Amino acid sequence: MELIRPVKTGFRVSQKAIARLLLFPSILLFSVFTFWPFLYTIYLSFFDWNMVSPKKKFVGFENYVHVLTDPNFLKIAVNTFLYIAILLVINFVVPYIFAFVIGIVLKKWTSFYKGSLFLPAFISLVVGSILFTWILNPVSGPVALIFGWLGWEMPVWNKAQGWVILVLSLITSWKVFGYNFVLLYASVNGISKEVIEAARLDNIPLWRIFFRIVLPMSSATGIYVLIMTIVQGLQYVFTPVKVITQGGPDYASSNLIYHSYHEAFVLFETGHSAALSVITMMIFILLLVLEFKFVERRVYYEN
Amino acid sequence: MKTNRMVSVIWHFIIFTTVVILIFPVVFSIGVSFKPLADAYNNVLNFIPFPLTMENYAKLFHTLPVVKIVFNTFIVASVVTTFKLITSFLAAYAFVYFDFKGKRILYFVLISTIFIPFTVTMIPNYLIVSELGLIDSVWGVILPQLADAMGIFLIHQSMRGIPFSLIEAARLDHISHGRVMKDIVLPLVRPSVTSAGIWFFITTWNEFVWPVLILKTVDNYTLPLALQMFISSEGGTDFTVAMAVSVITMIIPLALYLMFQRYIIGTFTSSGIK
Repeated sequence: MELIRPVKTGFRVSQKAIARLLLFPSILLFSVFTFWPFLYTIYLSFFDWNMVSPKKKFVGFENYVHVLTDPNFLKIAVNTFLYIAILLVINFVVPYIFAFVIGIVLKKWTSFYKGSLFLPAFISLVVGSILFTWILNPVSGPVALIFGWLGWEMPVWNKAQGWVILVLSLITSWKVFGYNFVLLYASVNGISKEVIEAARLDNIPLWRIFFRIVLPMSSATGIYVLIMTIVQGLQYVFTPVKVITQGGPDYASSNLIYHSYHEAFVLFETGHSAALSVITMMIFILLLVLEFKFVERRVYYEN
Repeated sequence: MKTNRMVSVIWHFIIFTTVVILIFPVVFSIGVSFKPLADAYNNVLNFIPFPLTMENYAKLFHTLPVVKIVFNTFIVASVVTTFKLITSFLAAYAFVYFDFKGKRILYFVLISTIFIPFTVTMIPNYLIVSELGLIDSVWGVILPQLADAMGIFLIHQSMRGIPFSLIEAARLDHISHGRVMKDIVLPLVRPSVTSAGIWFFITTWNEFVWPVLILKTVDNYTLPLALQMFISSEGGTDFTVAMAVSVITMIIPLALYLMFQRYIIGTFTSSGIK
């Protein structure tokens, strides 16, 4: 109705039309490659299918039951939380402390540190994976040699439960650390210098400045990095898992993301894969809700 | 302030060690890529390439269509970057300067897609690409990567910082949206558009997860896929060649790093994520 009105009264109408036009490419792309796939994966999680057969068999919740009662599921779920825990320490806690130290405590070399910590963020994680498989090679790598001189034994990490998760997390952190650090640094550095100087003049210990001033005042970015560390960290881990261990030995390095890929593109069980993806998504949503419930309330927003 | 000095020294030591751990692999790989294989094995800790040799690169160019692979990677990265910047800029402009029903919800929904794990969309996207006959084609790698809300977010953040009165004045003078975008908004948000562009280019250049599902033949590979061929947990006999592929994969991102590192950090620091 409004659209056919002449130009004079149609100022607002044409405005709306322009807005639609501007948003059209993005909405089209997201509809085709994100929203529809999202819904279709949920749909697929209720069917037994192998990606090529013309027939999909409706099985209700059977895929979910199968996936959750799979003897390896517990192992994979525990692995997933181990990865999350390790990534949170290395890629959230440590960069936060570094951001504080480099932004507030240290006066010299700060731009050198910022620049060089950021460098690996530019490099492919496949490069990182191949470099570290050599550097950390338990027999002939440089680290094993140095360990040898010190009389220590290097664990055969790619064949050992536990160690494999730690090392793959470290390789992932090599890439993610600097990026998270820069985001946190930006936020910490944005805190008013007078507040911190005043606290330092009053001889308040550094750890208290960190917990009482810096952490609360940079919490908006902090929360963002916290969530991204979990959500994207697990997806980053996919690369070293895929190129170095393929989830092995005996699922010791697999996690929900990798296992979902494995079910779909190695075993061709789209139903199992889709069910796992939906479960992963639910866990992420649960984490987001918990975060909003317990942390977001206390977040400090500058504007 | 004696304790403060001690604290500084300890922190400098800790951070410097971290820097060395992060940078060492890069230096190491560049050095080793110019060493003969036997030398790399016998003098593991000496990564300075002496005697220097080009044999690893020669062997690499002999076994792989390197030029084609670099070209593929370049096409994917440039097309994805260009399209993402254009669509994100237009969408961000609509979100900042127009009022329409459901604007907040639409923005929230789009930004939320950043938190969706790739496994949730991978099977249907694979089916779409397969339906389009684009399996084993760079276009199959490109298309699904275009739906990424990060650009909308970054450019939106920076557009919000422009005084609204500036745009209003231009609109009252009957300057078209096209010209407002090109002559007023774009110059003002150029730093964040450039940073986003460089960032997209590098991420797509390095992308592994999606191409590994789509590309099947070596001739269509992108660099990270070619590199993956050289991985074996034992180190592999072609270790020095693998280092040469690594170096080729790293050259462009490292060059962009050297040119734009301060610039990108600057954008992060000034715009910030809130």
